[in-house]
Order: sequence, then C-alpha cells, then structure tokens
Amino acid sequence: MERALRAWRIQQRVIVALMIRELTTRFGRENIGFLWIMAEPLLFATLVGVMYSYLIGDQEHGVGVIAFVASGYIPLTVMRNAFGRCVNIFVANGSLLYHRQVRVLDFVIVRFMIEMIGGMMAYLVIGTIFVYLNIFPVPAHIGYLLAGWFLYMLFAFSVCLVIAPASETSEVLEKLLPVTVYIAIPLSGTFNMVSWLTPKAREVVHWSPFVNGMEMMRYGLFGDAVRPYFDVTVPLVASAATAVVGLAMCRRIRRTLIVE
Amino acid sequence: MISCINLKKNYRSGHGQKQVLKGIDFAIAPGDRVGLLGRNGAGKSTLIKLIGGVEMPTSGKVHRGMTCSWPLCFHGGFQGSLTGYDNARFIARIYGRDYATMRQFVEDFTELGRQLRTPVKTYSSGMRARLAFALSLAIEFDCYLIDEVIMVGDANFQAKCHYELFEKRKDRAILIASHSTESIREFCKRTVVLNDGHMTEFDNVEEGLATYQAL
Repeated sequence: MERALRAWRIQQRVIVALMIRELTTRFGRENIGFLWIMAEPLLFATLVGVMYSYLIGDQEHGVGVIAFVASGYIPLTVMRNAFGRCVNIFVANGSLLYHRQVRVLDFVIVRFMIEMIGGMMAYLVIGTIFVYLNIFPVPAHIGYLLAGWFLYMLFAFSVCLVIAPASETSEVLEKLLPVTVYIAIPLSGTFNMVSWLTPKAREVVHWSPFVNGMEMMRYGLFGDAVRPYFDVTVPLVASAATAVVGLAMCRRIRRTLIVE
Repeated sequence: MISCINLKKNYRSGHGQKQVLKGIDFAIAPGDRVGLLGRNGAGKSTLIKLIGGVEMPTSGKVHRGMTCSWPLCFHGGFQGSLTGYDNARFIARIYGRDYATMRQFVEDFTELGRQLRTPVKTYSSGMRARLAFALSLAIEFDCYLIDEVIMVGDANFQAKCHYELFEKRKDRAILIASHSTESIREFCKRTVVLNDGHMTEFDNVEEGLATYQAL
C-alpha cells in the first residue's frame, strides 16, 4: 500500500513535469502560449458551424445548426489530433526514458490529456460566447453532457494506447491513419443523431462507442429537443477491451524499444 | 549493491538477431570504482543502458539495491529543443528536488552563464558533459553511470569532476565506460573488459588495461 502510494506520487510528478515540458516545446512562451491548444478546435468548430448554417439553414431537425456542428466537431478534433499525436510517440520522446521513473505510458497519457483539456477549454469558450449570442443552448442536463464526453474520450484514449505501440512496429499505420479516421467520421456521430437514420443504419452505428458517447452529449446539451439512443455498456466494454490490448502492446514494445 | 544476473541482450539486425550481451553476471558494491573497457561495439553502452534501466534486457535481471543515476552520455537524458534551465527544471520536477538549489548548483558547476538560456542542441559536447554532470550531481545518487562523456571536458572540468566525485563523494560507486587509459587510471580501482558478449573482471586496473589493449 505504502509502495503503491509512493509510486503513484512519483507518476503524478512525472506527468505534471511532462505536461509542462510538452506545452513549452509545442507552444513556446511567446504571445498566448499554451492557450493555442484550444485554438484549433475553436476555429474548426466555429468556421465549420458557420459554413453549415449557410449550406443547410439555421435549424436542422429542430436544433440550431451551429450548436449541433460545434458540439460534434470539438470531440472529433480531439479524437483526431490525439490519434495523430500518438504516432511514433515512444521513439520521439526516447531521450526522456533515460530517467527510470518516466514510463512510456506517461507519454500517451500526457499527449492525450493536453488534447482533451484543449478541447474542453474550446468547448467552454465557444459555449459561453454562443450562449451569449443566442445560437447555443444552455445545457439541459450537464451530467449527461459530461458523462458522454468522458465516455467518448475514454474510448479515444484506449485507441491511443493501441496506436502508440502499433506505430512503432508498422510504418503502414502512420500512412493509413488519417484516411481511416476520415472514413470513420460517420461512425463518430459528429454530423447526425442516430434517430435521423434508417433503422438498419441505426443498428450499425449503435455498435460505435463514439456514437453512444456523442448521443449522450447531445442529449445533455439539447435535452428533449432531440431523441437520443445510447447504451453506456458499449463504450465501457469496448474501452476496457481495447485498453487491455493496448497496455499489453505497450509493455511488449518497451522491452525491445531501442533508445538512442 | 547493484547486481546484474545473467543479463542477455539481443538486437534485431536484418532478419536475424544479434546477441550483444551473452550472459553478464556482475555486481557494483557501494563505493566501488569500476572501469568498463571494450572495443567499439563490444556492448559497453548497452550494458550501461541496461543497468540504468533505459533499455530492458532480453533475459536476465538487474537488481538495484542503491540509487543509480541515469547514464551520463552525449545525447540521452536531455531534451535538445529545451534550454539548459528548462532541462534542469524538468529534472528537478521528476526527481522531486527543489529547483532553486538545483539551479544554483548547475550555474556554479557548469559555468555556462547565459548559455544556459539557449537550447541544449546548440551545446558542444563539452558543454553537454558539464550540464549532465551538474544535473546528476545535484540529485545525489549512490552510483553514477558514466558513458564516455568525462573525457571531453577541459582541464578545469576534469578538476571539478575529480573534486566532486573523489573528495566530496568518496563513498559513491561509479561505473565508467571509456577508451581513455588515463581516465581509467585516474578514476578507477578495478576494471572489467567486455569482449564478444562476455565479461572478464580484473581486481587490478593495469591487468584489465593490458587485456583491453591486447584485444
């Protein structure tokens, strides 16, 4: 118990140090510094939202288009960036493995956390400004919104645990990843609710952990204006299974990792 | 005490495996001063990395009964894009040390002055050696692992290392991999020679050096 507690404290220290280091190397100390982490999701969500509102109109299926697109796009950018950031993460950070308390798992945790916190900050900023402009609803059930967000992120993180070690052994993965993520957009629930689909399509997307998380978030945000279909067991079971595979792969790759 | 038990390390080479270490049994006692000798590619750096926990052995175990520094060498342990100060801050954080004390020691020991504000990738190897030594001395380990890096320093740096490692820290153990017979004679009490994946130990420095030179 004592030992576990000490190990936990060391790991906490390492994660904080790695996070600060990552933020300074990536964003520097000039101008807005680490606030840049929310710039990308912020701009993406706003601009795509505005673009859609011209293409489709202000409302779609009874909810505001900008709010709908923004609420879908922020988690998507977090997921996409986190996947991309995990590629070749071990070799790129190899020089830090000289310090025994730094674990390969810490690299994945840190990069994922940075993307996720950036996304949450962007969500909060967009939400606040848009609520003020009256184009975004005040969340109907904040609990569902948060729970959905964390389920979505939990699955994204477990996939990162697989991508990071897999990218060290296979170079093909790095090239295929962007395409795969793009193709998977319909399975992420970004641009539509399950209830808008045909029953057949519903059965398919029901198995996507991202869709379940997204449906929860949308229900939390829009309340009874939408009709959600979700089942928390899908993302929970899928995340647990993926994480187990990912952790085993991380462990295996660490044994043969060559550190310059 | 740090003990290596039947350490083996393979690296992939092409389709096959190359066995660099073929079963090393070796121990470093507190206060031990060991010179690690061997030709280029004999596995000196590999052994130091395994002892330091940077890479994992293919089989066998490293048992660390005392605290052990990270391997001090030219490229590892630093983040090249960060400044000397940022690296010091990072290391202070992960080892849970007070940064102000660390900073003071690094400034005094390295004498790098304003250079500490520039990224480490712009440093010469001598400057890197100074920084690596300063950081690990500031943390205080029972055993220091030194891979080559000591020889690149100038006379002033050598004198400082001598003072810090031999007068102030007489009780610490060190393992030095080096091709410089002078530093081995100066710093070590015994030697081990790596050849063809096997290790031979010599209680006497001169005997080890003679064996190494005959390789």
